[in-house]
Amino acid sequence: MMAILALAQKDLRLLLRDKGDVFFTFVFPMILAIFFGFVFGGGGGTSKIDLALVVESDARIAAGIAADLESDASFQVTRFDTREAAIDSVRAGKSTAAVILPIAMQDGIDGLFSGTGIPMDAIVDPSHRAEAGLIQGKLNELAFRQLPKLFADGAQMAKLFDGARKNIAVSKEMSLAQRIAATGLIAAGESFTSSITRSGTNAPSVDPNDLSTEKTAKSSAKPAVSASSWSPIAVTIAELPPRLGQPRSSFDVSFPQGLVWGLAGCIGAFASSLVLERSRGTLARLRLAPITGAHLLAGKGLACFLAAMMVQAMLIGMAVVAFGSTVAQPAMLAVACVAGAFAFSGIAMLIAGICRTEAEANGAGRGAILILAMIGGGTIPIFFMPPLLRTLSYGSPFRWVVAAIEGPFWRDTAPADQVMPLVVLAGIGLLGFLVGMRGISRPFGR
Amino acid sequence: MLTLRAIRKSFGPTTAVDGISLDIAAGEVFGLLGPNGAGKSTTIAITTGLLVPDSGTVDLLGLGSPSDPAVRMHLGLAPQEITLYGELTARENLMFFARLYRVSAPHARVDRLLELVELDGRAHDRVATYSGGMKRRLNLAAALVHDPKLVLLDEPTAGVDPQSRNRILDLVRALAAEGKTIVYTTHYMEEAAKLCDRVGIVDHGRMLDVGTVPELIARHGGHSTVTVSRGEVHDRVVTADPVSEVARQFGSGGVTGVRVERPDLEAVFLALTGRSLRE
Repeated sequence: MMAILALAQKDLRLLLRDKGDVFFTFVFPMILAIFFGFVFGGGGGTSKIDLALVVESDARIAAGIAADLESDASFQVTRFDTREAAIDSVRAGKSTAAVILPIAMQDGIDGLFSGTGIPMDAIVDPSHRAEAGLIQGKLNELAFRQLPKLFADGAQMAKLFDGARKNIAVSKEMSLAQRIAATGLIAAGESFTSSITRSGTNAPSVDPNDLSTEKTAKSSAKPAVSASSWSPIAVTIAELPPRLGQPRSSFDVSFPQGLVWGLAGCIGAFASSLVLERSRGTLARLRLAPITGAHLLAGKGLACFLAAMMVQAMLIGMAVVAFGSTVAQPAMLAVACVAGAFAFSGIAMLIAGICRTEAEANGAGRGAILILAMIGGGTIPIFFMPPLLRTLSYGSPFRWVVAAIEGPFWRDTAPADQVMPLVVLAGIGLLGFLVGMRGISRPFGR
Repeated sequence: MLTLRAIRKSFGPTTAVDGISLDIAAGEVFGLLGPNGAGKSTTIAITTGLLVPDSGTVDLLGLGSPSDPAVRMHLGLAPQEITLYGELTARENLMFFARLYRVSAPHARVDRLLELVELDGRAHDRVATYSGGMKRRLNLAAALVHDPKLVLLDEPTAGVDPQSRNRILDLVRALAAEGKTIVYTTHYMEEAAKLCDRVGIVDHGRMLDVGTVPELIARHGGHSTVTVSRGEVHDRVVTADPVSEVARQFGSGGVTGVRVERPDLEAVFLALTGRSLRE
């Protein structure tokens, strides 16, 4: 075992010290994953933030916010009829966030002094967390800009004051002094509202920029709700919920694609390692050492396996941390990664075992594998492929590793459906190691 | 220690080793002297078990063939090519081989070897940055990492500068002083003459003769040449007894200079093969 570990450590060191191998194994797949993620709609292409807008409410304030959003230079707004259509647009990567002005806005307006505020919802692509804060701030600003119009609406305000008065009457938490003070405040508010209505002013001259949630909350009397927690506007930001069988973002698809290239890089690096040992003469030393061909194969296979696990962990980790992907089934994903690493180590050992020259190994390692990676979903996702290519893809080990990874990564596939890719990968790995074993044993003569 | 019996090895129509037999005793420094392509490296490869002979037997330490890993453990090989990982440091290379051989206390062993080959100051530099001589010394250290009883050095000074060559020769002497059995192939007769207890002359895959250097010279070197100068006149006399000849020349008077040329391994090789070692 010590000899196998020594061989694996040595081969990993050699891999990590070869700039070309490091690039093709670790850097290139990541670049591809990010590139394809953006190509397939990951955003970031324009300076404006794409918003999918749904106006469910027929309140005047909703129409005003929608109009302001559409005229705002920071946003490119597309209207959708339904919440589902807007969310689909986010999921497809066409919009950064879906902004929903819900029916419940009217309830929020009616209970402005006693409820939890006028609700607005934003559902954001998890890969655009950075923009979420900006969207929330902008929605608050636009909503506050509409409030003066609300205060100038006499009928709406009368309804509001009536509701507040009723709440004071039924409140068991308020003392008599508090009730008197609150009722007086409401009377003053009614007087203020009627004065601005009488004077024909539709909106008081308040600088919208000077309004903030904090200031508004402090100036409002709300007996039933504590002043510190009250806000007239309630913007809820949520991340796109996962949906069975659908990617949360284009990066869910592009990172398994990148992983294909990472595994191809591993094959390229390790398939030629045996012929390199031969050409640099170190194979003679290895053959003299008290190890067998099986040791050598196991050592090289282990190094390839660990490199494959590293590249998979790196890419999946990056998808989760930087691009908002979430793993539907972590344990199954780990199993899939192990199966993928085993299969591709086996392929690398097969090529290492049967190739006698660097040219052969490079041809097989980088040439044939390149083609297999392409038809296996390395460049275009399989579901985008025409039927003939999709059928051909079954012959590529890359197709199976993509299927094995995507299942527990974002498809949330039932465990029974994940068995087939895992079995195929295990079979490929086993076959590769067996054929490689025959080839590697030859120079050892035992 | 090492016994080769009637070893033959052909590659297609070319016979690389043609019935070589040898007995090398423990602690002996044995030189295989011959020109390039004489069959020295093939003989070494067969001795290590890397090549299987077409016929004949190899026995190491009375334990049997080196194709058995347990037997092979007792030999160390410094091949003619530099067989190291250029992208690893000297220490990493030696540690790797030490772990392959399951050397106990590998760090101490590697430190000692790095000192021995005078590379302890560059232990953490990548081998690819070394000079040819430094690589040669590390190549030799890698052969010693598991402290083998028999060390096979295949042209260990090929392509190195004189300073590095001297260091390598000193190393070989140090190993010999430790009691290692050494098989040393070279086509430099001076090295063989300086280092080896016995020398085997090889050509065209055949062992032409084996013996100590004086024995070989006595058998095949011919007589000494005494050149006597009297003013501008130089007389050459070939004689089996150069001392008596010089005395006789001085007795006859008028001698202004004498030079004695004794036969060497070059002469031995010329006598055995009809051609020069360096041809």
